[in-house]
Amino acid sequence: MGHSRLKFLGMVGLALMLLAACGSSPAPASKTYKIGLVTDTGGLNDKSFNHLADVGLEKAKTDFKVQGDVVESHSGDDYVPNLTHFATLNYDLVIGVGFLMATAVGTVSGQFPNIHFAIIDGAGTDANGVDLKHPNVQSLYFSEQDAGAMVGVIAGMLEKEGKSKKTQHVISAVGGISIPPVNHYIAGYKWAATMEDPSIKVLVGYSNDFTDPAKCKNVANNQISAKSDILFQVAGGCGLGVLQAAGQAGVYSIGVDADQKDSDPSVIASALKKVDVATYTAIKNVVNGQFTAGALTFNIANDGAGYALDNITLPADIQTELDNVKAKIKAGTLTPPSDIPA
Amino acid sequence: MPSTVRHAAGGMAVPIGSVVFAFLVGGVIVAATGGDPLSAYAGLLCGGFGLACANGENTALQLSTTIVFFIPLIMTGVAVALPFRAGLFNIGAEGQLLAGSVACTVIGVKFNTLPAPILLPMVLVGGALAGALWAGIAGVLKATIGAHEVVTTIMLNYVAQWLVRFLIVGGPLQLPHGFSVSSPIGAGARLPTFLPNDNSLIIFGLPAGVYRVHTGLLIALAALAVFAFLLWRTSLGYEIRAVGQSQRAARYAGINVPRTIIVTMLIAGAFSGLAGAIQIAGVDHNLSDKFFNDTTGFDAIAVALLGLGSAVGILLASILFGALHAGGSVMQADAGISSSLVQVLQALILFSIAANFLRVLGGRFRRRPAAPASQAPGAALMTEAAKAPPGDGQT
Repeated sequence: MGHSRLKFLGMVGLALMLLAACGSSPAPASKTYKIGLVTDTGGLNDKSFNHLADVGLEKAKTDFKVQGDVVESHSGDDYVPNLTHFATLNYDLVIGVGFLMATAVGTVSGQFPNIHFAIIDGAGTDANGVDLKHPNVQSLYFSEQDAGAMVGVIAGMLEKEGKSKKTQHVISAVGGISIPPVNHYIAGYKWAATMEDPSIKVLVGYSNDFTDPAKCKNVANNQISAKSDILFQVAGGCGLGVLQAAGQAGVYSIGVDADQKDSDPSVIASALKKVDVATYTAIKNVVNGQFTAGALTFNIANDGAGYALDNITLPADIQTELDNVKAKIKAGTLTPPSDIPA
Repeated sequence: MPSTVRHAAGGMAVPIGSVVFAFLVGGVIVAATGGDPLSAYAGLLCGGFGLACANGENTALQLSTTIVFFIPLIMTGVAVALPFRAGLFNIGAEGQLLAGSVACTVIGVKFNTLPAPILLPMVLVGGALAGALWAGIAGVLKATIGAHEVVTTIMLNYVAQWLVRFLIVGGPLQLPHGFSVSSPIGAGARLPTFLPNDNSLIIFGLPAGVYRVHTGLLIALAALAVFAFLLWRTSLGYEIRAVGQSQRAARYAGINVPRTIIVTMLIAGAFSGLAGAIQIAGVDHNLSDKFFNDTTGFDAIAVALLGLGSAVGILLASILFGALHAGGSVMQADAGISSSLVQVLQALILFSIAANFLRVLGGRFRRRPAAPASQAPGAALMTEAAKAPPGDGQT
């Protein structure tokens, strides 16, 4: 009895949804592309990767004939079922946000060779972390060193011109865990700061964590006592502790991934990884029938990486130098390194 | 109507009432935030049980996902329910689960060349022992110096979480060149799935590999049977229940209370540890950062309470929670309602049960003012709600 009542409820829901579907979509002239977005455990309101991916999806919805659906993952257990869900319903592109989903994308893409997958910051891997190179998986990578270099120019110029709070010719970076995307940022930062101010000392520390602000605050405070004037956080949610520590010590800080202007008054700039651009581009490629497997890298040249100026007004000559370096990186005459220089 | 049936019906009023209450309030929340409660619940029903699917979701796949989610809930639910019977509040099922998954991973990676008939029992027994050890610490502390098990098990959860973090972030178990994951366990340490993991084989319209239901299901069902048998058919089970009713009376009856407390915690921990081992051996095949914020052991508390600490109740509550977990994603994809609603529903269920057991507790104290104050509130619920379990009279 309870069973049939549940069924009845379901049927009512089904009828309502059919009604709603009829109301909203006029007879389709051309194909509507179905895009499925699976967030990682950060959820849609992470003010970072997942949020930006959704922004890209929403933009694609306004520009193309796209039906975009989002599923949030609440734990690592959800990755495979969520990706599988979209794959079984024949979505045209299934996007996984973040390298945490690499193994899940590797598994599911093998089961559904006819479905296109894209993954931010990762590849479809096996349990050993080896890229399976499935022909239906696109990796959306970023040249974090480009973004790191831009904020490195700001930090280096401020130190050179004595415009930072203390000007002790020491700046620093707090990394989450020593993994390639983190080190790319720090590499560009150190390289550019040293280029602008050869006398500068760049401290690098790791919190071994991406979530707990207290951990990053510790590392940041150590760097501040070692005379760091400008702190660059490359540790996600953990790095909010860096921004706070800088604010409390009265020095400058630099945000990462998304624009972190509002996180702390000490934030003078943010190094941007434009996940929204990457997501939008991946969808655009599928709509245009131009899906390609393998790596697609986003950098300054294709506006997939960059910087934002936050709670500071830069002197004109620093802005000029920034534009200058940006143009050179775009043109390829300057290339920030991907490994942290000695 | 036979008294057992009437009693069972009366006992089920509280959990069913809490679920109904949760769904009603959840529906109001959905409606108040501009969603459609009916399509939300249709999405949950589709995702959880594959019924009434709007977009042609695969019924077999949804059922398989639900089962994968409820297997560890059954095991950890038992790990919470058993100590309840002894008047102990085991908040540490999560930590014990983590200990079990660590042990399973260590053994499964270290001896990854051994064949399944040797390695599989090793990882499962290893996981159970590690969980037992973890819970045993709290048991010994409770029995010897009276340290409250709520405090010690919560603290041991943190110890286990940080141990996992240490092991796979730059620690000895970390996959070379990997990030916060361990190396995978050997093929011999993996629990087989019911269907072959073969993507060329099409079953129910999908590649067979998508159905992840594994033989851990049988272990979980066996664990339920062991739990029921232990509690109602053995002298140890009698001692556990006696200690839960009144430690003073149990001591007067010649029961070694400290020993019973320790043994109860050891057994509970073994169930939880086995849950962790099964999760690694059956689904994940490696230790990963998902365990940093895994909540299985906490959901288990709600499962045990909702199931009134009985084997059948735990099974039903686990199925409900597993279905909610699996249904959340489908609801979000189909109806556009955040899958966080599932957490809201779970919290509402727990809340209404808690509100109810306060009432029960109040009734107890009014009727019998001399009730031992040291008794955990959960145990009071257990003994109230399941006073006459089927078949108890004959033992």
